[in-house]
Amino acid sequence: MSLENLLGNWSQYRKGHEEGGFHDYKHLWGMAIDLDICIGCNACATACYAENNLAVVGKERFEKGQAMHWLRLERYWDQNELDHPAQGASFLPMMCQQCDAATCEPVCPVAATYHTPDGLNAQVYNRCIGSRYCSNNCPYRNRYFNFYSYYEDSWPEPLNMQLNPDLTVRDKGVMEKCTFCVQRIRVAKDNAKMENRPVADGEAMTACAQACPTNAIVFGDYMDKDSQVAKLWKKHQVKLRLTKQNKENPELRGYRIFEELNVDPSVMYLERVREEV
Amino acid sequence: MYNEKDINEQIAWAKINADVLRSMENPRKGYWLAVLICVLMLICAAFAEYIQYTTGMGPANLNNPHMWGMYISTFVFWIGMSHSGTLLSAILHIIHADWRKPIYRFAEAMTTFSLMTAGLFPIIHLGRVWNMYWVLPYVSDRGHWPNFRSPLVWDAFAISTYLSASMLFLFIGMIPDLAICRDNAKGWRKKLYTVLSLGWMGTDRQWRNFRKTYLLMACFLIPLAVSVHSIVSADFAMSIMPGWHVTTFPPYFVAGALYSGCAAIITLFVLLRYFFRFEEYMTTPIMEKTCKLTFAIAMVWTYLNLVEFCSVWYGHDIYNKEVLIAKATGPYAWVFWIMIFCGSVVPFTLAVQKLRRHMPTMFVVSLLLNLSMFFERWMIVAPTLSMSHDPHQWDIMYASVVQWAIVFGSFGWFGLLFLVFVKIFPSVSMYEVKEMVFHRRRHLVNEEAAARFHRRKDDSQTTTGEPGLEGA
Amino acid sequence: MSGKIDRRNFLKIMGLGGAGTALGGCDLPSTVTLEEGKEEVVSYLMPEEYVIPGVGVWYASTCAQCAAGCGIHGRVREGRVLKLEGNPDSSMNHGKICMMGQSGVQAHYNPDRIKTPMLREGGNLVAVSWEKAVGAIQEKLSAANGDQVAWFTGTLSGHQAALVSNHLEALGSRKHYIHEPINASVWQAVNKDMLGEAMPRLRLDKAQMILSFGADFLGTWISPVHFSGEYAKFRKQKRRGLLVTIEPKMSLTGANSDLWIPAIPGTEGVIALGIAHQLVKNHSKDMSSLPASVQGLINKYDAATTAKIAGIDEKRIQRIAELLVERSPSLVLAGAPVEGQAKGYASVAAVMLLNQLLGNIGQTIESQGSFPFNQLKAKTGGTSDLFSFVETAKNKQLSVVFFYGTNPKFTAPKAMEMDSALNDVPFKVAISMFMDETSMAADVVLPAASYLEDWGTHVAAYQPQQTAISMQQPLMEKLYAETRGFGDIVLDLLKVAKKDVYSAFADYYAYLKNAHAALPAEYKEAGMTDGDAWSAALQKGLVNVATGSMSLPVKPVSFGDPAPADSGGKFAYHFVPSARLGMWDGRHANLPWIQEAPDQITKVVWDSWAEIHPLTAQKLGIKNGSIINVESEHGTAKVQAVLIKAIHPDVIAIPMGQGHEEYGRYAKGRGANPLKLLNPVKEETTGELAMYATRVNASPTSQKEVVVRLGASDTQAGRRFVVTVPVEQYQRTEGA
Repeated sequence: MSLENLLGNWSQYRKGHEEGGFHDYKHLWGMAIDLDICIGCNACATACYAENNLAVVGKERFEKGQAMHWLRLERYWDQNELDHPAQGASFLPMMCQQCDAATCEPVCPVAATYHTPDGLNAQVYNRCIGSRYCSNNCPYRNRYFNFYSYYEDSWPEPLNMQLNPDLTVRDKGVMEKCTFCVQRIRVAKDNAKMENRPVADGEAMTACAQACPTNAIVFGDYMDKDSQVAKLWKKHQVKLRLTKQNKENPELRGYRIFEELNVDPSVMYLERVREEV
Repeated sequence: MYNEKDINEQIAWAKINADVLRSMENPRKGYWLAVLICVLMLICAAFAEYIQYTTGMGPANLNNPHMWGMYISTFVFWIGMSHSGTLLSAILHIIHADWRKPIYRFAEAMTTFSLMTAGLFPIIHLGRVWNMYWVLPYVSDRGHWPNFRSPLVWDAFAISTYLSASMLFLFIGMIPDLAICRDNAKGWRKKLYTVLSLGWMGTDRQWRNFRKTYLLMACFLIPLAVSVHSIVSADFAMSIMPGWHVTTFPPYFVAGALYSGCAAIITLFVLLRYFFRFEEYMTTPIMEKTCKLTFAIAMVWTYLNLVEFCSVWYGHDIYNKEVLIAKATGPYAWVFWIMIFCGSVVPFTLAVQKLRRHMPTMFVVSLLLNLSMFFERWMIVAPTLSMSHDPHQWDIMYASVVQWAIVFGSFGWFGLLFLVFVKIFPSVSMYEVKEMVFHRRRHLVNEEAAARFHRRKDDSQTTTGEPGLEGA
Repeated sequence: MSGKIDRRNFLKIMGLGGAGTALGGCDLPSTVTLEEGKEEVVSYLMPEEYVIPGVGVWYASTCAQCAAGCGIHGRVREGRVLKLEGNPDSSMNHGKICMMGQSGVQAHYNPDRIKTPMLREGGNLVAVSWEKAVGAIQEKLSAANGDQVAWFTGTLSGHQAALVSNHLEALGSRKHYIHEPINASVWQAVNKDMLGEAMPRLRLDKAQMILSFGADFLGTWISPVHFSGEYAKFRKQKRRGLLVTIEPKMSLTGANSDLWIPAIPGTEGVIALGIAHQLVKNHSKDMSSLPASVQGLINKYDAATTAKIAGIDEKRIQRIAELLVERSPSLVLAGAPVEGQAKGYASVAAVMLLNQLLGNIGQTIESQGSFPFNQLKAKTGGTSDLFSFVETAKNKQLSVVFFYGTNPKFTAPKAMEMDSALNDVPFKVAISMFMDETSMAADVVLPAASYLEDWGTHVAAYQPQQTAISMQQPLMEKLYAETRGFGDIVLDLLKVAKKDVYSAFADYYAYLKNAHAALPAEYKEAGMTDGDAWSAALQKGLVNVATGSMSLPVKPVSFGDPAPADSGGKFAYHFVPSARLGMWDGRHANLPWIQEAPDQITKVVWDSWAEIHPLTAQKLGIKNGSIINVESEHGTAKVQAVLIKAIHPDVIAIPMGQGHEEYGRYAKGRGANPLKLLNPVKEETTGELAMYATRVNASPTSQKEVVVRLGASDTQAGRRFVVTVPVEQYQRTEGA
């Protein structure tokens, strides 16, 4: 009986709630995005559509703000005082930041979003009842809700044959978001397990990082000290579990968006560089 | 200037019974018309909900930043309405403000019905309504529990507790009246009241037990009422969103709730007084007292508003400040300024004695106050969603026809429940009005006796043998 | 289950869903039977037992979404191709593909594919059998002679190009029209004259500075994925590479530059000469080897004159010249806005002249070397063939034309009268996957297999450091049994036209395999059989080709004054039919992912729009979202206005791609086609269509609509989202 289970494991259960998720991570998937070489080409976003069965909603629903792009490529103009943006545009690939202290997690009434031992912020579609509180509490606004059933509109036959069988097509009333391509991580972990070895760096790769033509997106295991992503974080002196980085060299480019909110995002961005001419 | 009594202490008890029981009989054409309108409104909502149920939340116009919309603001509105009954029946009961007696019954009914309306909204707004029971901590073989950290789960507990407690309170308070109904009814009504009056005979022991129970329930209900709206405020305050993450939200919500509840009481007071010809029970002085109470609450609400604005302004959190400025100047500014005008300026009419004695004026004013409260809830929900941390996702959203239809229909649902109630149950507490009349009369007698005593001291010629209570 | 399984059964098994697929999967053959009783083709390379249900296997092929020819890997699971990724072995794209490449699966699985051959009978296209369709074609072919038959295609390369050439040769025709609206034809022509090589290799990774005159190498220029990878290297050099862009409307490259300078289209050549003037006068660059006329031009355009014509600050021109000298080697590129003028050749030549003066040739511009298989080389084209086709067709000199891989009815300007030219061709054959505008006008429509179902070889016109023939193989069984691969269709035509040579090949696959076997011995590893070598080539997805080393002899080229002559008359604004990565020339408008993907600069989705500078808009009374009429001499487009500062105030831009009248549910009736507005101006030297030489006026209508786009805010509103740091700081921490 689950009641027994609850009472028997009460201390563990309480601990989990007090401390918010796991802390003895086996993997901690993280990202580093170099905004200086991100060219804003949209390959990552399209790869995400291809990998994750994202619904195409059409113009009317896009207008309403009901689009399902897990990875959106934000574009900003910075030199508004000028007649022309002389230094070009600022591009920002924005996906779920897989916060270690995710604000979406505690507010879900049914615990449909939770933290995995991999450091991922997972969304259990089956458990979701669609209260949408998680999305309201996400400072990045990176959670997307299935306002409609898209399986007929979005994939008329035979487009549905493209759907990735490794993950579901979400039905109406369910929240969804970037998973760091958890199905691809799964494959990498399974392969490593079958061959009785640790997951190699670069073996688990999100679709966006895979597609990025300039390799601006680097994905990997933060716990693996030799991984490219861990090295980048170290190089730029950015640490997890801080609300303000105290770098030895403050000129290093690494930063996390909204880390002052204590959400502890797993994505580090590297500042864009421009040369004054 | 006006020196009337709260109630005419000379009303015969039999007349009280007759008047109240009369109100429960012979529905006139107007009543059926009202029922019809309510049913039509409800059908609108049912149709809209059908669309939403079958196609998803899309037709409601909700979108990425605006994951919550008018459903949640209406939910908060109805929860707010529910606070009036508790205020009048429980709080005023405990502090012995006996002027509440003729009006508390319908206020209490309003509590129950507005809770029944409010409770529908979190359910309607769910993306997957059919799984709503998952928020309840039922024992499942899979070991699934709701997330006890989520304010939405607290909501479910708080609302269901408050609803059951307030229904119980309403019912217990009605038992002596139901017995009167039983004694005067025929047919199915007789059967119904016989069951509901639980064998009330009016014995001394029954009265004593009744008093204790009623007091106990009142004491129990007050913290519940405060907690339920505090918990509703936690839905917002527990988030990290600018404009929601506000420490003063619990008292602010409770004040707003009492405010809208009182305003609704004024509205229903005027309606019942007019339609059921309850002028003798719902008298102008009682109206005046209600108005004064409402005015006081309005000022508390205004103060708390200022506290919020000031703490945000001097808090220097840019996100919060942005939302505050956007409230006053952004796309929803017109809502904001109507809210401020109707919520903080219009209540000053309540301070003017001449105006608050004028029933039609008060009717309009009370509606304006509630409009302000309805807008207040929208101003809590929408601006934060519309502009939070990420400017890329800023958006303006107005509710679609589907959302409006459901909100509109909720008024029909509430009205229908209320209309059914007033014809089945006594909407004025007969035994408590009798009590009131009794107390007032005794008070009068005592006063006169005292006066006589003084007069006797002054003038030894005074006669004795004035008619006292015995003469009634 | 036997190995001979037709498509219907094949799909039926897959249709059983999860459990059924898993059970049936064990028996699923991975072989494709092309013809009953013929050789069984191992299409997935792997033997059957390697096909494990639930496990995706990656197969190599070549992307055909644009002409760049990137190598791809397709993930195949349970007989379906699910996702495309770049081939890491390809030195073209190093495992990366762009958004168009990613969307290739949506072209393949598109619900609007043509499923059967169609023949025009009584004015309508009706479904017929292959025999009947081919019979009708052969009948017309036998009646036509020599130059009356023509092929009208997009860029072709590899054995497909060889077969088409051979077909024309067998019929005695020389008419192969090649049309690509997004091209670098004028640039190629200049290179041919100046360097002796049309498509030299560009070493972005070695350049210290890139000065791009509208060459959108990150977005739509020649080989965007390859150049993006090189761009990253360019930026990550010890001293971060400096990118300066001069163009009329901000392209993706412009959006990534350190300095973006808006320029009126047509003045780029003058700016280049102005910079050349600075180089010669102030930085002692030697111009003595140049023709006298060019020297004269350089002398003419001093800073003041240049600044006056181009509307650019004198100091800016001086500064750019200074930087170009300072940051050597550099690379100066010219793109579509420079080419698309009546004096496009002169402008491009003026730009390329800078490379010559700066000594970049041999440094950042290298020779590709000689490619040994001449027949397989890419046949690239531009827009000049549109003119020659229209002229020839109108003279009634064409009786049978085959269309493939291009949609001239959509891309030709209205003023060119392509519609009537097509009417003048009595028999048109369209080989196409979709009913586009040209196919709708055809007399026979042959359903082409998608590139994910077809065989082929590709030799990209632009080759990276390692030249290669890229292999294309089917990644899955054909979706529709009645479709045929392009190679097979041409081969069938050749079997009639040149029976003695081609009847030996059962199908295109056999032809290709044979061709591969005929490669010289050094293309196979020692000890490998032909079959093994073939499998190895397919597995790798490419065959590396050793090129003969060549140097680039710099030849002096003389050219005229590139200064724009006309004033535009009553049309006040320069018109830019801009290209966007994704929509391309409109060929991807039927892919929902492309439609839903926001334009990189404006972030608009699902529609056409006109980009206008806010200052201009204010003058014209246009607001963001206003529906406006953009009117040229030859037509009017009704589009939504999008105000954006990333455009020259004298320019109005409408992106190419939308405005289809046909082309399936996602494309049809959406937006406006800017190409229709163009004046039919020819580039004087090359005869290309001058696409940026049209002038327009814009006027608001009373309508206004919400601009449907991604993102509500154009600014970061004080947030720390994208932080920009000065390059000096970067050099201190991550530089040398």
